[in-house]
Amino acid sequence: MLEISELRKRFAGGPSAPGGKVALDGISFAVRPGEMFGFVGANGAGKTTTMRIVMGVLQADAGSVSWEGRPLDHDARQRFGYMPEERGLYQKMRVAEQIEYFGRLHGLSAQAAKKATDDLLERLGLTERRNDAVQALSLGNQQRVQLAVALVHDPQVLILDEPFSGLDPIAVDALVGALQERCRGGVPVIFSSHQLELVERLCDSVGIVSAGRMVAAGTVDALRSAEGDTLRVVVRDPAPGWADGLPGTVTVHGDRHTLLTTGGDDQEILRRAMKAGHVEHFGVQHPTLTEIFKEAVA
Amino acid sequence: MNGLMLVARREVSTQVRTRAFVIGLLVTAVLVAGLSFAPKIFGGGGDSYTLGTVNSQQLPLQAAAPEVGFEWRAFPDEAAAERAVLAGDVDAVLVNGAKVLTDGEIDAQLGVLMQSVNREFKLGAAGVAIPPLQMESVGADTRYEAARGAIATVLVLILFMLILGQVVMVAMGVVEEKGSRIVEILLASVRPWQLLGGKIVGLGILGLINLVTILVVGLGAAFASGLAADFPPGIPGLVAGVVLWFVLGYAFFATLAAASASLVSRQEEVNSVLTPLTMIIMATYFVAFYASNEPTGTLATVASYIPPFSSMIMPVRMAATEVPMWQVGLSMAAMLAAVVAVLAFGAKVYERAVLRTGARLKLGEVLRTRA
Repeated sequence: MLEISELRKRFAGGPSAPGGKVALDGISFAVRPGEMFGFVGANGAGKTTTMRIVMGVLQADAGSVSWEGRPLDHDARQRFGYMPEERGLYQKMRVAEQIEYFGRLHGLSAQAAKKATDDLLERLGLTERRNDAVQALSLGNQQRVQLAVALVHDPQVLILDEPFSGLDPIAVDALVGALQERCRGGVPVIFSSHQLELVERLCDSVGIVSAGRMVAAGTVDALRSAEGDTLRVVVRDPAPGWADGLPGTVTVHGDRHTLLTTGGDDQEILRRAMKAGHVEHFGVQHPTLTEIFKEAVA
Repeated sequence: MNGLMLVARREVSTQVRTRAFVIGLLVTAVLVAGLSFAPKIFGGGGDSYTLGTVNSQQLPLQAAAPEVGFEWRAFPDEAAAERAVLAGDVDAVLVNGAKVLTDGEIDAQLGVLMQSVNREFKLGAAGVAIPPLQMESVGADTRYEAARGAIATVLVLILFMLILGQVVMVAMGVVEEKGSRIVEILLASVRPWQLLGGKIVGLGILGLINLVTILVVGLGAAFASGLAADFPPGIPGLVAGVVLWFVLGYAFFATLAAASASLVSRQEEVNSVLTPLTMIIMATYFVAFYASNEPTGTLATVASYIPPFSSMIMPVRMAATEVPMWQVGLSMAAMLAAVVAVLAFGAKVYERAVLRTGARLKLGEVLRTRA
């Protein structure tokens, strides 16, 4: 289990912010083996800073990161896979050589690195481009190479900062497949994204950060029930003032009246609606992650 | 250590395959070889004269001046000889063993030579034998002064160009990794000192490949062209010294270059951030160049102990004159200490600065704050 607890980080101030800027204000969360954890938050909320601290690229002012019960050190991190927010590859180096090189840096033997590279190139559909310089590839293919670099050493943990940004839908599916496969193999996966539908679809649990704090965390279902469901009733051509005294808000489109409410006796509301007119719709709406997110960071 | 070697190997294998490296090496080899043959081609190795005789015996000039070339032609009469002199076919013609025809004033060296050899020749014929004067120098051995000076001058240039070239490569490599953020992935798998050390070692090996090529081609061509005959003794020791001093000088400047470069994030900024360092290298070069002309002067002697100047000036002194071993050892120890100090300082700056992308960082600010 990867445990992040009470991370704090303040960046030195510049001319615009002489007191410095608090990036992390005590972030804590944990990711279990085989769990896909979606990291959500506005720009500048602290997602990247958290990930960089986990990867040892940045030092936290306070707090700790532990893996399998022990403080995370350089040797353990060597078995992590990392995709930074700003992609970086040697532009003039060949694709296969580059992936192999990172495999070796992560401690693979020459043969193991070569084999892992061949497998990944095959899986990502890059076998034919293996001897091309990275700069000759399209952006989407460069992204695949970046992913291969993160995966080449068969990592025990995957930390991916905005892995889906800039990908076309087909590439997104390929990446999702690769991540789900690692997840099924027991690898905890943490990724950040602004594509909340995707996070909602993929992740077992979600953490919402705002201003350096974790404002909501848990499974998507748990977050939903905390938020509460919304009852939606559509009545056609009702008698005027039919909803007087009922909780919630009514919006009118032509002769259709829509009532949205999070409280009240649903059976009573149904009876009133049926008496007032023709009920076209009566149902409970789960909040989307986008709604939960907006609510949480508001 | 493993990480460091992997990084170094990548530097070597990617650079060696670039066209720039291969062409650079070939051009250097051709230039160096050309330099070694140049004195032969441009009529070096002493003067030569074409002389004529009219009704005279050839003077034994060759025995008196072995390094000068003489070619003799015989003319039937004075009129023919005069025409040849005026046409510039011959430099001088000896007529009847008594007078010399020339076009204008005779070449001073040739005139003195002909006079004295003629006198000796006539006296010898009259049975008077004069033993030649014994020449003995009580000062330093100056036989190889010219050759030593030439070697030293060439050496300064080679060391300067190689060190500057490799140092700029180190700086550009550091910025390439920092600017493209590869450094984030790299530092998630290797430590900063491994990355820094690997880059310096790798590009240093490339510099050594260049240096050894220059030395091998240069010495090979010098032997092939016969230029090596004028070389002073102790060339193998000098070569070993040059390689060692290159390694020390390069390690010093490359570490500072990497530290400086880690302060910026864009290739366009490399030049300006390296300016203080290139100034020091240039200053070292100028002092070394001066030292190659005056290797025993106070400036050369003092500067040959002060790092990093010693890295170029001591090898120049070693080439240009005899330097006692203890002086070389002392200077090398000082330089080695400076390299160790610079490595510690450079690694600290690099480690703190290389992940802070964006605007150019100030050195003082980097030293004050932790990463």
